[in-house]
Amino acid sequence: MSEKVAVIVRKEVLENLRSLRYWGLIVLFVLLFVAISAAISAAMGSAFQGREVPAPERGRPATRGVAELRLVVQFVGSLSAAMSFVAPLLGIALGFSAIVAEREKGTIRLVLARPVYRDQVLNGKILAATILIAIAVFVSTALSLPISATLYGVTLTADDLSRLMLSLIPSILLALAYYALSLFISVLSDRSGRALLYCILAWIFLTFVLPIAASMIAYSVLGPPPAIALNRTSATGVEIGVTVTVVEELPPQLQDYYRKLGEITSSVLMISPNDRYFTLVNALFTRRSPQTTSYVDLGSIIATRWVDLAVLAAYVAVFTLLSYIFFVQRQEVR
Amino acid sequence: MEYAIETENLTKIYRDRAGKVVALDSANLRVPKGVLFGLFGPNGAGKTTLISILVGLQLPTRGTARVLGFDCVKQSLEIRKRVGLLPENYGFYEHMTAYENLEFLGRLDGIPWGELRRRIDEVLELVGLKEWANAKVKTFSRGMNQRLALAQALLKDPEVLILDEPTLGLDPQGSAMFRELMTRLVKEGRTILISTHLLHEVGFICSHAAFIRKGRIVAQGNLEELAKQYREARGYSYEVVVQERPEDLLRELRQLEGVVEVGLENNTIRVRASRDIMRELLGVTGRYQVRSLRERAPTWDELYQFYHGGGWGE
Repeated sequence: MSEKVAVIVRKEVLENLRSLRYWGLIVLFVLLFVAISAAISAAMGSAFQGREVPAPERGRPATRGVAELRLVVQFVGSLSAAMSFVAPLLGIALGFSAIVAEREKGTIRLVLARPVYRDQVLNGKILAATILIAIAVFVSTALSLPISATLYGVTLTADDLSRLMLSLIPSILLALAYYALSLFISVLSDRSGRALLYCILAWIFLTFVLPIAASMIAYSVLGPPPAIALNRTSATGVEIGVTVTVVEELPPQLQDYYRKLGEITSSVLMISPNDRYFTLVNALFTRRSPQTTSYVDLGSIIATRWVDLAVLAAYVAVFTLLSYIFFVQRQEVR
Repeated sequence: MEYAIETENLTKIYRDRAGKVVALDSANLRVPKGVLFGLFGPNGAGKTTLISILVGLQLPTRGTARVLGFDCVKQSLEIRKRVGLLPENYGFYEHMTAYENLEFLGRLDGIPWGELRRRIDEVLELVGLKEWANAKVKTFSRGMNQRLALAQALLKDPEVLILDEPTLGLDPQGSAMFRELMTRLVKEGRTILISTHLLHEVGFICSHAAFIRKGRIVAQGNLEELAKQYREARGYSYEVVVQERPEDLLRELRQLEGVVEVGLENNTIRVRASRDIMRELLGVTGRYQVRSLRERAPTWDELYQFYHGGGWGE
């Protein structure tokens, strides 16, 4: 890292660490995670509340029941739900004003009048954002984990904690994906307010509109489900916390229809960073088999879910590259 | 003559929804080394665009520009190492103190830590902001911001200073400080280019100037050269201070060849002529009781009106 980049990183990090906006987002995450945990915990009521979980004996590997593991999966689900909401906002908060605000305030003129390349300015900002996102994700998770775990009545093992730590990587990638997108919008915009509006619209599209659009596309491709009478008594119930739902009692035509529907929806959602994030976090907490309580090893996860990582990384790479191209080429300082 | 800044047919055309805007139109500017040079023109004349190109903030559409011998397109980094810029419409990081802002910008200038602290103290002292070093910039007035902007331009001890509207927002005391500082810096051998439309603030400390109109440099040179052009177009002005009402003298002056106008105000006779009549004036006034006779040089304001208000290059 060049000295000029380090100077920019230092200034950006210190400036944000002093800002209310940055710490406000961390507080928002903690509150959101705790609120979701409290809500789910209350909804589950007697099913899990106050359940005694035997602590593993010293010197013996921890053994846990399937019910307890479901609780952990549920806990991770609320964590990822909170994170999927806050991480994009964190990325947007750091990215939307990165360039346009400097242009509006005129600080960019003082910076670019110095012996510094434009790409060094962007490098500094991106590196600083990565550090700030990593700090925010780590601090907010560390602050909210004990509170939420207590609310859930869940005891996290070392394996759970190591998986939770690993889940911070997709969280950081998700925030960085939105940061890169916002940075690109910031480079193109001439007003901070407009940049923020476009960033929020992009977030609404990717978070809320795209899943609906994916289902609509799937339905429009396949048409309505075949009209086959169901034997209602044989329908399988879906239990909270079980990731695989068995639909063996459905007639084969309907099974085939819903399988295709799921495939098309998933294909469209491949471009959703939020969906890729959920898939990765779910994969980290997937059991080897329904009968075991141990998680799938990391090698297998990377082998099967590398596409999810690649999509998140592609968001970061593509929008960062576009930001470089437009910022370096654009002769905007009048 | 050696030039610190030299442009040749420098052209900048912006394209927007409304079409083409020619901000600079084949501008040829020559700023000699070691002088205080004024770039005078109204708002929108192309001054800021020209300055932006000189320090590499923008690329020219056509033409070339060199600062200290370095090409503005290919070697702009070398230029920015040696040039201190006070741009128009600049801004500071408002949540940082004056010292922190200067520290950040000084580090980007590549000034080593040890030297930087000393330089920050020096420039803050120079612009009269030393006691405000640890105050956040958001608490600063317009004038204090302008002083800080001048401080950041001086930070790297530059060979060339380019200042875009440097006296905007300065109070009379600040303006006086600024003029005194500029005069001192030029004596130390620096080249200073001041772009402004406020001639009364800085015009009289400039030894050289260029007038820019609609993106073109319409005239440039030292005060004598510019005054000569003015006289050739507008005529020569003289002032004769007398002791008593000189009816005969007035009559004689009116009869001189080339005299266009003779006026009397208190004890001063103003003579305007279409040619240089100093020799004849000496002959005529020698026969009367005259306190003084001098040719009146045009003021910067008159030159500005001349080059921008019509009468030149139209």
